[in-house]
Amino acid sequence: MIKRWGAWIALALVVVVALTVVLWPNGSQSAAARAHDLETQFKCPECEGLSVADSQAPTSRAIRADIKRRIKAGQSDGQIRQAYVDTYGESILLTPQDSGVSLLVWILPIVVLALGATGIVLVLRRNRDEPHLHATEADERLVEREHRDG
Amino acid sequence: MKHPARIAALAVALVVIVFGVVLALNVGSDPQEDAKQSNLVGKAAPSFDLPNLAGGRVTLADIAGKSAIVNFWNHWCIPCQQEAPALESFYAEHKDDPDFAMIGIVRDDTTGDVKAYVKKRGVGWTIALDPSSVAALDFGTRGQPETYAISPSGVVAAAKYGPMSTTELERFLAAARANA
Repeated sequence: MIKRWGAWIALALVVVVALTVVLWPNGSQSAAARAHDLETQFKCPECEGLSVADSQAPTSRAIRADIKRRIKAGQSDGQIRQAYVDTYGESILLTPQDSGVSLLVWILPIVVLALGATGIVLVLRRNRDEPHLHATEADERLVEREHRDG
Repeated sequence: MKHPARIAALAVALVVIVFGVVLALNVGSDPQEDAKQSNLVGKAAPSFDLPNLAGGRVTLADIAGKSAIVNFWNHWCIPCQQEAPALESFYAEHKDDPDFAMIGIVRDDTTGDVKAYVKKRGVGWTIALDPSSVAALDFGTRGQPETYAISPSGVVAAAKYGPMSTTELERFLAAARANA
C-alpha cells in the first residue's frame, strides 16, 4: 500500500514545497524592489498595453513617485493597490484581482486541469485493471494444443 | 463509477459552461469601460492643497458650498489649447454667479510657461499648480485635459477625459447644482 502511494505522496510534497517557495510573501524585500513590483502591476493610464514601470508618460512618472511616497509612508502593497483601484477602477491593474468574480480567472483553470488529470488517471487505471481481450474457447483450445504438442 | 472518463469530461464541460455564464453575466460589453469613465463620480472629491500663481494656496475648502468646475490642463497640450475658447466663454458667462467657482489645475508644466500662457490668454479663473501631480493622481486623471464638476456638498457630480465644449460645461455645472 505504502509502495503504491509513496510516489504520489512524494509528488504532492514537491508541489506543496514549490508552491510555498513561489507564493510565500517575501518580507525582506527592499523598498525599491517593492516599488518596482508594484509599478509592474499597474497599467499606464494614458498608454496602450504598457505597465507604469515601462512607460515614460507623465502620469506613469507621477505614479512611480507616488508609489515610493506611499511605501515611505508605511502603506502595505495591498493598501497601495486598493488606493489605485478605488481611484482608477480595476482597469488600472495588469492582472486580475484575486478576489470576487476575478478569483474565478485564477481558480477555474486549476479546477479544469485537476478534473482533466483525474479523468486521465481514471482512464489509465481502468485500461490497466481491465484487460480488453478475453480468450475464447477456440483460443484456449489452441493454447492447450500448443502445450501438448510441445 | 462505470464510466469515469465520461464523468470527468462532463464535469470539465460543466465547469467551462459555468465559467462562460459567469463571465457573460459579470463582464459588460466592454471590459475596459471603467478606463473611459472616472471612478470618482458620486464620491467625495479628493482633498487638495496646491500653490496658486499669485503665491497663495488653493484648497478644496475654497470651493465648499459652491458648484465648481475643476479642469486639469497644461500649456503644451494641444487638446487643452483647443478647449480653451470654450472654457473662456463659459467662465465669462458664469463668473458673477455667487454659487460658482472654477479652478484650473496645471500638471506637468513649468510655472514660467503657465504664467506666460495665462497672461497671453487673459485667463481669469483660479490657476493652481500641481508639480508632483499629487492632485492629478488623487482625481484619477489619465492625462489632460480632464474636467470634473463638484457639487456644493463636495461630491464629484460629473467627469470627462478630453476637451469640453460649452454645452458640456453647462451640463456639468447643472449636474453640480443638481447634487447640492
